[in-house]
Amino acid sequence: MNFLAASIESLGAKVVGWFTVGYGMFAFLAKAGLLLLEPATWNRATFDVVVKQIYFTAVQILHVFLGYALVISWLIITIILSTARDFGLTEFASEMTIRVLVLELLPFLTALFVALRSGSAINTEVALMQVNNELDALAHCKVPPMQFEFLPRLIGGVVSVVTLAGLAGLLALLMGYLAIYGMNVAGFEPYTRTIAKIFDFRIMAGLIAKCALFGLAVTLIPVTAGLETPKKLFMVPVSVLRGMMRVFFAIVAIEVVSLALKYI
Amino acid sequence: MNKLHFKVGLFAAASLVLAAVFIVYLLHARGFFEKTFHLQLAAASADGVAPGVPVVFSGIEIGRVTTLGLNENGGIIIHTEFLSRNAKWLKENSSFTLDKPIVGGAKIRVDSPDLRAPALPDNATMLLLTSDISKEIPALVERVKAILANVEYLTRKDGEINATLANVKTVTGRMTGEYGVLEGVLGSPEKARAVTDSLDKTRALIAKLDAMTAKTDQWLFAQDGMAEQTKASLAQVRLMLNDAQSSLKKADAVMANAVEISANVKDGTQDIAKLRAEIDDAVRKANGLINEINKKWPFAREPEVKLP
Repeated sequence: MNFLAASIESLGAKVVGWFTVGYGMFAFLAKAGLLLLEPATWNRATFDVVVKQIYFTAVQILHVFLGYALVISWLIITIILSTARDFGLTEFASEMTIRVLVLELLPFLTALFVALRSGSAINTEVALMQVNNELDALAHCKVPPMQFEFLPRLIGGVVSVVTLAGLAGLLALLMGYLAIYGMNVAGFEPYTRTIAKIFDFRIMAGLIAKCALFGLAVTLIPVTAGLETPKKLFMVPVSVLRGMMRVFFAIVAIEVVSLALKYI
Repeated sequence: MNKLHFKVGLFAAASLVLAAVFIVYLLHARGFFEKTFHLQLAAASADGVAPGVPVVFSGIEIGRVTTLGLNENGGIIIHTEFLSRNAKWLKENSSFTLDKPIVGGAKIRVDSPDLRAPALPDNATMLLLTSDISKEIPALVERVKAILANVEYLTRKDGEINATLANVKTVTGRMTGEYGVLEGVLGSPEKARAVTDSLDKTRALIAKLDAMTAKTDQWLFAQDGMAEQTKASLAQVRLMLNDAQSSLKKADAVMANAVEISANVKDGTQDIAKLRAEIDDAVRKANGLINEINKKWPFAREPEVKLP
């Protein structure tokens, strides 16, 4: 009996913990959104931080990321094409390639890439600032951390993931064309028809929204996880671990929900 | 110059340009810059048709179903939409067929037998035919069932096919006997023996015939045989014919004289009587000659030479 009560209690504690985390996250997001609406936020200093953030999240890794996208696109396109040929489904190969790569796989991989590189860095940085009382110091010096530290990171994350996923998608479209039709313009008409068939307004809006949500998830969750860190140095790795786990679950959840909305 | 800002600016500009180009391309691909062409299809049933069902021409999608609804008379009106660049494939004599394959989604197939026919006007209404394979399957199954029942009846125990096979077995059994296939065909070794006997007799008869032919040959073509004699007679005939020819030539000359003479009839009555006698003589000779030839050679002609 005691055991049952104890397990129910631990379950309850977990649920309360999830809710607290979820509430904290959405409250933070709401605060950031409200701040975005204030004209005072739109100043040169904030803009500079946003630019710096985009540089570190997107521009610095662009060549590595595009190379990686190129290799993975080429591999998957080749696999899909040869499989489609084996099963006599060549007419669906181009559509299948575009759907798998541009709509699902590349945004997902982009989010993972940015989360592992920038998300973990943001989490550690915010956790260290929290432990070292730097955030309080900044606030004391009339430098609100929300405006100069957190909001630029959120904006940078969203812009970076949307742009990187878009660039990788365009690259995959190009690779798909080259793989199917080779170096000539004869396939332009049918390829255009396929693209027109896939990318209607709903799909485009869904793709951009999904990428934006990915970008938000890989920056917002590390920031809130870092802010939750108790003021002890040894808690920083724990905070990063928790943050990264949450980021992973959030990315998978967004992907699953987007798939469900699209195909169910 | 701030290097960091420059790089970010370059990145942003390139991304924006690419995004803009892609959006323009997408709008072009989806026909945003083109007029859309509308077509109504009247159908008896909307079974399997839904918004988004493609309209294909020669296997390539040229349009889609947008909406469908009922008209005043309870018929189905299917509204379809085409890009104006694809509308050129729709002709006044085009036929529209609803294809529902067993595997895969339904589609509306356009067949334009004559591409030089006048184009369909916008908002035209055409009839949609249905070719539904799945509806034909029950009928097909019924027919296959009937065929199978027949096969079953034919192959039943004590059925015709079994009896035939048994007969074939006895026949082939006989064929393995002394007289082989003959025995199989005729039914018993005795009958087969009769056939072989008569074959033997025929062989003997042919041998006799052979000997006779050799004799005939001898009689006909040997030294002083029939053929030789005939050849000699033919040589004689040729001589006689030469004789007749010379006689006729004489007669010809006489006739020429006669023409000359007839100008002076009064003086030449004596001559004419003599001439007449001479000609008669020549004709008689010729007739005799022909009779002679006829005896030797069977001409199927009247053996007579008539005087004019």
